[in-house]
Amino acid sequence: MRYDPPFHRTNGLIPAVLFVLVLAVVPFVFDGSYIRHLIILSLVFAIVAASWDLSFGFGGLLNFAHVALFAVGIYTYGILAKTYGVNPWLAILLAGPAAMVFASIMVLPVLRLDGMYVILVTIAFSQIIYQGVISQSDITGGTSGMVTLPMLQIDGYRFVKDGKIGYYYTALALMVVCVGSIYLITRSALGRAIIALRDNKYYAMSRGVSEWRTRLATLALSAFFAGIAGGFYGSYVRVASPDIFGIGSLTLVLSILLVGGLATLWGPVIAAFVIILLSESLGWMGAWRDIIIALMIVAVMVFYPGGLWGVIQELRETFATLRAALMVRMRRRFERAKREGMLGLREEMVETKHGLIAVADTGASHTHTGPPILLLHGNSACKEAFQNQFAHFRDRHRVIAFDLPGHGASDNGDPEETYNVIAYADIAEEILTQKGITNPIVLGWSLGGYNALELTARNPQAYAGVVTTGTAPLNMAPDDFAKGHDAKSHLILAGKQYLTGAEATTFASHATVPKSEKSAFLHRNLRRTDGRARFYMITKLTVVDWPRHMRMLREGQIPVAVMNGHDDPFLNHDYIAGLQYGMIWKGRTTDIPNGKHAPFFNEPEAFNAALEAFIDWAAEARAEGD
Amino acid sequence: MSFESFLFVLTGGVVLGALYALMAAGLAVVWTTLGIFNFSHGAFVALGAYIGWQVGNVDGFALGHVLGLSATVLGMFALGILFQQMFIRPFERKENIVAATVITTLAGATVLQNGMLLIWGPRSKQISGIGEGSLNIGPLAFSWNEVALIVLVAFILGAVGWFLSRTRTGRSMRAVSQNRQAAELMGLNVPLLYALAFGLSAAMAGVAGYFVGSVRFINPTMGADPLMKALIVVIFGGIARFTSPIYAALIVGLVESFTTFYLGLYWAPAVLFAMMMIVLTIKPAGLFGTHQRTL
Repeated sequence: MRYDPPFHRTNGLIPAVLFVLVLAVVPFVFDGSYIRHLIILSLVFAIVAASWDLSFGFGGLLNFAHVALFAVGIYTYGILAKTYGVNPWLAILLAGPAAMVFASIMVLPVLRLDGMYVILVTIAFSQIIYQGVISQSDITGGTSGMVTLPMLQIDGYRFVKDGKIGYYYTALALMVVCVGSIYLITRSALGRAIIALRDNKYYAMSRGVSEWRTRLATLALSAFFAGIAGGFYGSYVRVASPDIFGIGSLTLVLSILLVGGLATLWGPVIAAFVIILLSESLGWMGAWRDIIIALMIVAVMVFYPGGLWGVIQELRETFATLRAALMVRMRRRFERAKREGMLGLREEMVETKHGLIAVADTGASHTHTGPPILLLHGNSACKEAFQNQFAHFRDRHRVIAFDLPGHGASDNGDPEETYNVIAYADIAEEILTQKGITNPIVLGWSLGGYNALELTARNPQAYAGVVTTGTAPLNMAPDDFAKGHDAKSHLILAGKQYLTGAEATTFASHATVPKSEKSAFLHRNLRRTDGRARFYMITKLTVVDWPRHMRMLREGQIPVAVMNGHDDPFLNHDYIAGLQYGMIWKGRTTDIPNGKHAPFFNEPEAFNAALEAFIDWAAEARAEGD
Repeated sequence: MSFESFLFVLTGGVVLGALYALMAAGLAVVWTTLGIFNFSHGAFVALGAYIGWQVGNVDGFALGHVLGLSATVLGMFALGILFQQMFIRPFERKENIVAATVITTLAGATVLQNGMLLIWGPRSKQISGIGEGSLNIGPLAFSWNEVALIVLVAFILGAVGWFLSRTRTGRSMRAVSQNRQAAELMGLNVPLLYALAFGLSAAMAGVAGYFVGSVRFINPTMGADPLMKALIVVIFGGIARFTSPIYAALIVGLVESFTTFYLGLYWAPAVLFAMMMIVLTIKPAGLFGTHQRTL
């Protein structure tokens, strides 16, 4: 089971609550029932579009009978509440199951068909319903429809007398409940089966997803909410007219769905407001209104295939990028002294082809008897994580570390160019050249471990040795990435662009240690790191020449130490120990007890002692080898 | 039912079938080549009727049927290509082309319908009949208008069939519909062929509109009902061959004619749609179809 937080732990919570709150206070701010009328319509069509999204977007079924099922809801309300005098509230509730029954009939032809044929058969099905409605004029009122349907009332309080306030809040509550239920469905086992059938039908079926049962559930559930929306709509407009079967309402709902963005759920909800308010505000233009809206829909489809949801995501990324840029400036201006205090070193900015990089370098000294040490930090961390190594090794070694782009005090980079393991190794190479450092020991932590392997594998003879900690070497990505790590862990967050506060805390606690005075600066890195650095780094793992790393380890081209925390929450130790190493310190991987994912930080004494021993051994091993 | 009314219903069915055949064949040309369903086909029908009325009719430019029909064909061919470039071309290579073009052709239909409303106003128009009087063959009675309609439809369908099976361009079109990649590798100009196919389909819709306009009133939404029937025809017959929608159109025309007579106006469409769903469920490729996309 992969990491999948409940809704109240996701980034969606605050916007969703704000959205509902704003809608809840609108009647107090804007007077006049017209605006309330428009919002009620938007809420109803938001439910219709969102429930359509379940079958159309998530299920990939090109089901064009959805508006007809909405109409079934309206007529069910009309017939039950007016003809049979059923309580209007009950009639709305029964409109859902009525639409479900009709949708279930449709399953048989839909199951046998694919793509375009599904569109045609569902259109034909809605036409049959339409013909049934207009031919049974005794029951449905035929072409003139049904009028003066009963209104909603609670205990004698009649909803039409209050300037639509009652309808407004009923619609709002209905929208929250329906869209919330659809959200829960998409995240349930059933929802995952629906999506799996869309993405790869035969694979899903071979994994035990029943096609017809899932399709039936998809269509029936999607119809249920459409039917409820129809029942409410019937009670609100108090008319059931066969016009609703026309091409106009199909186009309206379809454009809400597609302009909002398929399979996004929130997109159609937002688009319902945009499209309904837009089409109302252009009402004075007559026939031009429909032309303009139609052309706008086509323009959205051409230029923003992801719909409004895609636009919102783009805005969000722009905002996050600006924020990351601001955070770099703040760090450089206000926190430099604090950083320099941690390492006991001056921080310098080095110009590289991937932008300005913050470097900490002890510089050369005559007391240095051992090789230089290059320290590469991990995902969403910073060079100060190595403060204990600086303190311990600086007397006898030249120690150098830098902040990766998008991290710490370094520049944020171009995501396509900069945020990947190859570019990180390029930067390390460039800094070593600029500083005139030769034959260093390279230590990499986690993501830094991959950078270290990439750097040394390019020319193993130029490095005194390589140490990885918290890293699982790969032969191919992404398959080995799954094997080398614990799939149950929160590692998935390492590639997530936007972390919530809870997620940031969780990830930082797993990657380093739970927040304490000592580790607070590591936790703060999560908020500083450019989210794109996480996302692009993970998605670009496949571009690295992984077999070259493995070959270097296997053939013993360089002295290697693998020092992992014994209780590392992310790693699969058996996988790492089972790899072949040609020249590994002590002949095996090294466990640091209680080290977790950052043993050099959590257990500095044990780690530094091991590293020191490895450096001595590496020199001998190199001498023997040559 | 007397023999005479039976014959009356029969001739009505044949005339309807001829109209549906023309529309369905046009739909099938686009479906098979571009792989999409064109929901603006009904608007094309109305637009063709308006163009023909404007050019040919006495209230318009009064240039007569020949010029009216020619203007319809040429105008709709050009407009069809323009439409395809605007509403379908941008999605040609997209994965979701089927769903995307449903909304864009629906949007296109909205644009056309409202455009017609702006140009020609809400008042219904009618094209005067192509001939007057009637032709009696034994007990069968066709008006000359209907005779002209049936003969012209047969001629047009024959010509399009000949074009698709005998000319180089027509064969290229069929090649593209069978395998786009292979056709491209053979050096065929696929965008051009797509545009031609769409223009051809629009022109056929326009002619159908001209005929519908001579038996019914012209208004911007007049194409909606024939479009639904053509949809039934295309599904009912399948699109395995160019001829399959034509046979299916005749069957659908006759069934509609007879059910209208026996069961009443409202039930006829329901019977047709039910028939179509049954065919689709039992034999998804259609009555005459093998499950393959070709012309």
